[in-house]
Amino acid sequence: MPIYPLMLPLFAAVTLIGALVGWTVWRNAGLSGRRGALVVAPAGFLGPLLTMVPMEACTFEPERTGLDIAVGIVAFTSGAAVLIAATAWIGRALSKPGGWANLDDRAEAGSFRGGAAAAMALLLPTLAVLAVFLYWPLFETLRLSTQLTRRGNPIERFSCVDNYTELLGPTAEWWLLVPLAALLVTAVGAELARRADKVGSGLLAPRLRRVRGWLTVVVVIAAAASVFGPSYRSVFLTTMILTSGTVLIGLAAGLGIALLVSQPIKGRAIYRTLLIWPFAVSPPIAGILFFVMFDPLTGIAGHVFEALTPWDMPNYRTDPVLARGLVIMASVWKTLGFTILFYIAGLQNVSTNMLEAARLDGANGWQRLRYFIVPSLTPITFFLVVTNVTYAFFEIFGTISYLTEGGPSGATVDAMTSVVQSSEWVGDGAARSLVLFVMVLAVTAWQFRATGRRVHYGG
Amino acid sequence: MRLSRRIIAATAALTLLAGTVACSKEDDAAGDKQIDVWIAFTDYRLDWAKARADEFNAKHPEYPVVISGYDSYEVLFDAVSAAIEKGTPPEIVQYFEAATQDARDAVNKDGEPLFVSVQAAINGRADILGEPVVLEDVVDAARNYYTTDGQFSSMPWNTSTTLFYSNQSLLKKAKVDKVPETWDEIEAACAKILKLADAPKHCISWPNHGWLPEQAVAQQGGLIADNENGRAGRAQNIDYTSEELLNFVKWEKELYDNGTYYYSGKQNDWDGPQNAFAAQEVGFLMTSAGDATAIVGAGKDGGFDVEVSRMPYNGDVPYAGNLIGGATLWLTADQGDAKQDGSLAFMQFLNNPKNAADWHKTTGYIPITKAAGALLEQEGWFTENPYQKVATEQLALANGTPAATGALLGSFVSIRAVLTQAIEDVLVSGADPVERFTKAQEDAQKLLTDYNALYGG
Repeated sequence: MPIYPLMLPLFAAVTLIGALVGWTVWRNAGLSGRRGALVVAPAGFLGPLLTMVPMEACTFEPERTGLDIAVGIVAFTSGAAVLIAATAWIGRALSKPGGWANLDDRAEAGSFRGGAAAAMALLLPTLAVLAVFLYWPLFETLRLSTQLTRRGNPIERFSCVDNYTELLGPTAEWWLLVPLAALLVTAVGAELARRADKVGSGLLAPRLRRVRGWLTVVVVIAAAASVFGPSYRSVFLTTMILTSGTVLIGLAAGLGIALLVSQPIKGRAIYRTLLIWPFAVSPPIAGILFFVMFDPLTGIAGHVFEALTPWDMPNYRTDPVLARGLVIMASVWKTLGFTILFYIAGLQNVSTNMLEAARLDGANGWQRLRYFIVPSLTPITFFLVVTNVTYAFFEIFGTISYLTEGGPSGATVDAMTSVVQSSEWVGDGAARSLVLFVMVLAVTAWQFRATGRRVHYGG
Repeated sequence: MRLSRRIIAATAALTLLAGTVACSKEDDAAGDKQIDVWIAFTDYRLDWAKARADEFNAKHPEYPVVISGYDSYEVLFDAVSAAIEKGTPPEIVQYFEAATQDARDAVNKDGEPLFVSVQAAINGRADILGEPVVLEDVVDAARNYYTTDGQFSSMPWNTSTTLFYSNQSLLKKAKVDKVPETWDEIEAACAKILKLADAPKHCISWPNHGWLPEQAVAQQGGLIADNENGRAGRAQNIDYTSEELLNFVKWEKELYDNGTYYYSGKQNDWDGPQNAFAAQEVGFLMTSAGDATAIVGAGKDGGFDVEVSRMPYNGDVPYAGNLIGGATLWLTADQGDAKQDGSLAFMQFLNNPKNAADWHKTTGYIPITKAAGALLEQEGWFTENPYQKVATEQLALANGTPAATGALLGSFVSIRAVLTQAIEDVLVSGADPVERFTKAQEDAQKLLTDYNALYGG
C-alpha cells in the first residue's frame, strides 16, 4: 500500500482517538487509563489498513477529487472505528478478572468447565454456514464495489471508489438548512428551559425535548438525502416514503382491526382467520393482484370507481404519487395479516384488571387506548416495527417489480429495486447494496434507541 | 408403525441418493461427445427445439445433442459465466441480437475469445456430416446484422421485426379507407377514429422498449453510434440526440399529450399494448412480428379483422430500412474438430428448409432461409396466411446501409434501459425531449465508455 502525504495526519488522528477511547473506557471500568491508551492506540493506527490495503489507498492519490478524498476518509476512519471498538470491547473484558466471560450479558455469563473445545466443535457447522453464506458474500460485495465489472463475463478492473462517488453529490438544500436551524433553536430552547426549570415539573422542557427528537430524525434524513447525487436522492427518498408509509399505516390499521376483532362478536374466529389470509401471499403475487385490479383499462378497481363516481379512474402508472400510494397499499395489505395476528395475541395479554380500574377512574375509550392499551403493547409494537421495516426494505421489491417496475419515471425505485436494476453492472450494484446495508444498520440502531427505550415488558 | 415409517424414509433417501449418483454418472459417460445447447426459452419453443434434437440424435447417435432451456437471457448468461469459470462451457449458446457485441467480446477462463465464427468453422464446406450447409442461404437482413468483421459470426435462428397491426373493423367504421403507412397518415386516421361516437379511449399503442425507437431511427437512415453504428470499428460514442431519434420522441410525445397514444405505464411491457388492442381500446398497434399469429387470433376471438402491414415511417425523409430482432446460436471455441462438426451439423439441421418452415409456422418468426420461404410458398402457406409474409417483405426493403443494418454496442441492454427511461420521463413527467435526451446521452455514454474500458483494449 502506498502512503500519500494526506494520510499522515489521518493516521496521527486515529491513533490519538484510539488512545483517548482506550483511556476513557479503561478508566470507566476502574482500570488504569494509561494501559487502556497503550492497548487501543495501536488498534487505531492499524484499523485503517483494513480498508486502505485492499483499496491501495487509491482515494488519496494526488489527482483525486474532493469527493474521492471524502469517501476515502470515511473508509479510513470506519476501518479505524471497527478495530478500535473491537479492541476496546475485548481488551477491557480480558483485562478484568473473568476474561472472556465478561463479554456476555451478566445474566448469561458463564464458562465451560472442561474447556470450550467440545462446544466449538458443535458450533463449527453453524459458523461454517455463516462464514460461507454471510461473511464471505459480504466481503465479496465489498471487493466488487471497487471494481468495474459486468455480469456474464469474468473481466474485472479496479475502479477505486467510482461506484460510490457516482451515487454521491452533496449539495446544501433549503430542506436541510431549515430543519437544521429549527433543530439548533429547539436544542438551545430545551437547554434553557431545563435550566430555568430546576424542579422538573414544567411541561415546556419535555415538550421541547420531544420536538428536538423529531427534528433530529428529520435532519438526519435530510442530511443523508443531501449527500446523495440527484439520481440516487430520489431512490433514497422513495425508500424512506415507502418504508415509513408501510410501517406506520400498516401498524395503525393492524391495531385498529385487531381491536375490532377482539370485541366479543359472533363468528370472530372466522374473521380472524380470513384477515390473516393475505400474509400467506408472497410479495410478487401481491404485486400481480394489485396490477390486475388497478389496470387502467381493464381493472376492476377502475370499474367500481367509475360506477360510483362521475370521474375517470386516474392512472397510477403515469402518476408518481398514486404509484407510491398503491405500492404502500399493496404492502400494507400484504403485511396486515401478520400485524393483526400479533396484535390479537398482544391484546389478550393486556391486563383486564388495569382496564377495569381505568374505567372506574373515568377514563374514556380513547384514553384507555392511549394510556393503557398502546403502552402495554410496546413489546409487540417493537417487534412489529423491526419485522415490518425489514419487510419494507427488502421485500417490497417483489411487489414493485410486478406492480410498477419502478415507474413512472423512477418514482417507485427504492434502494433494493435500484440494486436489482443495476444487475448488469455488478460493481455498481455491489456499491448500491452496501449503501442499502448502511441504511438498514442506521435504521436498526435508531429503532433500538428510540423504540427500545419505551418498551415495557411488564414485571 | 414407527419402524415401517423409518424404513420408508430410509428407502426414499437411498433412492434419491442413488438417482443423483446415477444421473451424474450418465453425464460423465456421455460428456466427451455430448453437445450441450443452451437456449433462453422454456415454453413451446423449448419443446420444439428438443423435438428437433431428438430427430438429430436419431440420425447422428455419435453426437448426442442435449438442449437446456433457461428462463431468460440474463439467467442463461449467468449459467454460461459459471460454466466458463468451471472450464466447461456448452458447445452452443443462444445470444439475442442486442448482445451480439457482448458475445464477440466474451472470453473464456484463459482470456481467449469464447466463440468462433460459424462461417470460419464451416470453412466453405457444402455439407457437414451429411447435413447440407444453409448458412449461405440466410436472408439478407439477418446476414447483414450478424456479419461482423466480414464474417458471418453466428447461426441465425429466431428472427423477427416490428410490424403494424390495424383493427380493420374500426377503420371501416371511421371511414379510413387505407391503412396508414406514415406518421402523418396515422395522425389523420386517428383523428377520424377518435371522433367516432363510440370511439376507443386512445388510438394507438406500442411497448416502451428501446427496439422501437431504434427502428424509427433506422427507417430514417440515422445512426445511434459512431463508427457506422459500430460496424466499421468498435463504437465509441452514442448518439441519443440525433434529429432522427428526437423526431420520433417528439412525435410520440405529441400523440401522448393529445390522448392518441396509449402508454401502458410500464417499460418493456409487451402485453399491455397487445391487450389494449385485443380489447379494442386502441385501433392500432406496433409490436413484434413474432406476435402476429396471436394478434390475428385475438382479433378473430374479439370479432374484428386485423390487418398486418409494414411499420409506419416518417414520410418526410427517405426510407432506409427496418431492423431485425431475435437471437442466434453461437459456437464456442476449443471443442475439437470432430465435436465442432457435430455442433455445426446440428445448427444446419435445425435451420434446414423443412425445419425452418416449421419453426416459422409454429412461432411466427420469419423463415430464416430463402429455401424455407420458397418451401412455404410452394405449400400455399402464404396464400392462406398472407399476413405471415409481411415481415419478410419489410426486411427485404432495407437498403443495406449501416443505419438499416443495426448498431453493435457493448452493454446494449443497459443503454436501451436509459432510452426507455428517458421516453417515459418525456411522456409521463413532461420532461423536455431535447433536455432529457441530452441527459440520456450522458448516461448511455458512460455505460459504453465503461464497457469499452473493460473490453475495448
